[in-house]
Amino acid sequence: MTQEIDLSKLPPAEPYDKARDEAQRARLMKVWKTPTGWRRISAVNNSSVGKWYLLTSFAFFTFAGFLALLIRAQLAVPNNDLLSQSLYNQLFTLHGTAMMFLFAVPIFEAVAILILPEILGARDLPFPRLSAFGYWCFLIGGLFVCGSVFFGVAPDGGWFMYTPLSSDPDYSGLGADIWLLGLSFIEVSSIAAAVELIVGVLKSRPPGMRLNLIPLYCWYVLVVAGMILFAFPPLIAGDLLLEMERAFNWAFFDPDRGGDPLLWQHLFWIFGHPEVYIIFLPSIALIATILPTFAGRPMVGHSWIVLSAVGVAFLSFGLWVHHMFTTGLPEISLSFFSAASEAVAVPTGIQIFCFIATMLVSKVRRSVPMLFAGGALAIFVFGGLTGVMVALVPFDWQAHDSYFVVAHLHYTLIGGMLFPLFAGVHYWYPFVTQKRMSDKLGRWSFWLMFGGFNLAFLPMHWTGVMGMPRRVWTYDVSDGWAVLNMVSTIGAFIFASGFVVLAVNVLWPRGKAPLVERNLWNAGTMEWSAEVPDKPWGVRSIPYIHTRYPLWEQKELLGEMDRGEWFLPDAEEGKRELIITDILDARPLYVQRVGGPSYLTLGSAFCLGAVFILATFHLWTLTLLFGAGFIGFTLWWLWTGTSEIPEKPEKEAGRGLVLPTYAQGNNSPGWWAVFITMTGDMTAFMGLVFSYFFYWTALPDFLPGAARLPGFGWLLVGLALLLAGWVTALLARERLTAGGTGQAMALLVAGVPLGALGIGAWGWAARSAGFDPTETSFDATVWVLILWMGLHLLLDAVMRLYVAARVWRSRCTPRYRADSVNLTLFTHFLALTAVVIFALLALFPMLMGVV
Amino acid sequence: MAPRNKTVPPGDAPRVIDQGSVWILVAAPSIWAAHFLLSYWVAAIWCAKLGRGTTLMEPRWIIAGLGALCIAAIIGLAVLAIRRYGGVFVIIEEITESSERARDRFVGHVALLLCVLSAVAILFTVIPGMVLGEC
Repeated sequence: MTQEIDLSKLPPAEPYDKARDEAQRARLMKVWKTPTGWRRISAVNNSSVGKWYLLTSFAFFTFAGFLALLIRAQLAVPNNDLLSQSLYNQLFTLHGTAMMFLFAVPIFEAVAILILPEILGARDLPFPRLSAFGYWCFLIGGLFVCGSVFFGVAPDGGWFMYTPLSSDPDYSGLGADIWLLGLSFIEVSSIAAAVELIVGVLKSRPPGMRLNLIPLYCWYVLVVAGMILFAFPPLIAGDLLLEMERAFNWAFFDPDRGGDPLLWQHLFWIFGHPEVYIIFLPSIALIATILPTFAGRPMVGHSWIVLSAVGVAFLSFGLWVHHMFTTGLPEISLSFFSAASEAVAVPTGIQIFCFIATMLVSKVRRSVPMLFAGGALAIFVFGGLTGVMVALVPFDWQAHDSYFVVAHLHYTLIGGMLFPLFAGVHYWYPFVTQKRMSDKLGRWSFWLMFGGFNLAFLPMHWTGVMGMPRRVWTYDVSDGWAVLNMVSTIGAFIFASGFVVLAVNVLWPRGKAPLVERNLWNAGTMEWSAEVPDKPWGVRSIPYIHTRYPLWEQKELLGEMDRGEWFLPDAEEGKRELIITDILDARPLYVQRVGGPSYLTLGSAFCLGAVFILATFHLWTLTLLFGAGFIGFTLWWLWTGTSEIPEKPEKEAGRGLVLPTYAQGNNSPGWWAVFITMTGDMTAFMGLVFSYFFYWTALPDFLPGAARLPGFGWLLVGLALLLAGWVTALLARERLTAGGTGQAMALLVAGVPLGALGIGAWGWAARSAGFDPTETSFDATVWVLILWMGLHLLLDAVMRLYVAARVWRSRCTPRYRADSVNLTLFTHFLALTAVVIFALLALFPMLMGVV
Repeated sequence: MAPRNKTVPPGDAPRVIDQGSVWILVAAPSIWAAHFLLSYWVAAIWCAKLGRGTTLMEPRWIIAGLGALCIAAIIGLAVLAIRRYGGVFVIIEEITESSERARDRFVGHVALLLCVLSAVAILFTVIPGMVLGEC
């Protein structure tokens, strides 16, 4: 690369000047100050949002754990009637749902939001307001779903909500709607976090941190956020289908009308299995970060761990059918998934071997975090081994839906996720609070939980093999499961007591306790560079990193950072600033300004939450009203907080480095965010496409006769109009670049009626052919594809008018035109969606000989 | 484009695609995914459209042939990872040097390991195709 900036050859820093240092610190402090009092809820900084996220997730964990204790109390003795059967169904459904959706996934986001920027030596993530928005969505959705149990209407169909139990209103009440809408809403926040974290790892690294120097934690975050992007959207597609069936009687899962209940299982587990690894990998990432610190040396096989993270991410998408081994699929299909389930053990094992190797070649310091990490590995390996057993089809046929599976999944999740997380809590507690936890209580909580866990879940392997099915409300003494169940219940309560000790240890007020020393564990990663007492700005100056463990290998670094000798040591313009770097070598690209405290995100999340909650009760007018409120708040937030035209085109970032203050296209994080979001959107769309082909494969007469196909002519006209709309966006960008702002605005606005006419033509094609979505699965599929396109066109219209208004108000100009570029990127995806839908509605039936 | 100073580097996206620098990491597992899905679809459609008890002779050779093709492509990627990126197949690597070459070697090393894993996973998928005789 000829234009490479050699960061190692920058001019030396100016000599230290105490007055300048203090002035700079004061300005930084003013800019990054966290609002106080009740205004604190407007905070968007990662350290505030991360802490709320963490505490909220643990609150849901405690709630779900309490439900688990109720379940265990009910099962303690035979023929127990402590809980009614209906309540019991709600409890186990909510236990699974809350643990998975309200604890395991959000806690990954919580930890990542809290520590990722610091590990990257950054001041914040690139979209702090998006993190805040995601958090509020999570809180509102979680309270809604959990609160339902107090009104006796909690979901009761199992955490996977199988159809037709969940699609038939005779068998399932409001609970299923609460599950569907509440969780769809929370999925929005997960995807928001995924976008934030991917862009964070790719673009917000400190200058010099090349791909080979990225800490393992960041690799895991990148991989897991990528997985969320491909795993969650199919479930959103499934939720859409199921809710359409529940609310409007569309025929997707009803066999009498050409639907198929198995489709739900496919869509659910395409999400559900990768989700297990979405939970597991970020926790194992905590061990990968903690272990080198206590081993006092770099991780053995750094790139092998990167390999396993990436490998597991891919292979985990080839496992979903192993939850469906007993559904009667052809054996050849089952065996493919069995093979992949065995293959995934290879990269998973590699990570464990790397950890063991690191411990073998060094003398590990004893500490509470390492105690938890060790316990985690022991439990997880045990769960992994039973995983290899249930991955074998014949064994699974025996063990399916028995307590053996309950034991297996708790061993993998508690060993693979919960214990590493507790290790992380003990390890990073001083980082967050600057105080030390009690080691004695830490050891007590570990041994209580480790012992209690094994006492509770080990016997379940036997109860399972002896035939006890999952989800049973009670059993008879003649079944012979009574003793083992009593042991499990005792174990569960011991486990819970260990958690209480841990919670006391975490929440114990330590106001007067002395502050910890800086980097108390002597770790090598950047988050421990934080000053004691902590400052809200993250890092005093953004350093140049050229090693994997900077605090070990760059001895001068802390002093240089503290004296403000590195980048952006000041905030002269009174703005929160980050450095955006390139993906490969982290060369500085530009200075990004991010938004400060705001209530807009809160309003936006509140309105969106209201939309989902009101839709559950079919209060459509209010739903629309709050929908408008959501759009209003979001546009206001974007208008005032994004793509702001800088007061000067470039600025001195320190050490003679001059960087632009504005970026557009693929230089800007916003472009990447649109790209990543739309990739997720395409995955959801692929879920619908999958449904189409699933029906075609599973049903002999899915495609109707020629007389009942949507009119080819109208479909073609619609496609032409939609593509014409896409072309207007391209032309608008070209005209804007050339300075023709008036033409650009006209083209942008012209795209709106083109889209409306296009979708109108498609709607007419389906309507005139007599398509009724409540009639057959083909009709419903056709309409849902058209609906999908229509919803995207609505979004497209809002965005076009927004960008046109930005051009009009000179907030988007020929020189600073990020908004227009991002809109064009969005329309590329829209055009692709239109072409695929056209192929499904018009071309595929023709190809299959229906003419 | 944004105003640029001489010292400011060009945008990164074209480089990523031109050199294939990051994409090579996901290329091999993507080939596994493609092979996996194709095998699944071929078998599923075959069994769904022709009914239970149908012989799997044709899908067997389709799956094996696809497997051979995919492994050949992965070998191609592995050669690329070795030649262009300088990837090596060693257990202990310490590619911690801060240079473009080291970054390439790191990517090459991980890509090479992923090639091996993906090829093994493809073989895993082919085995049931060889063993099971009918739907």
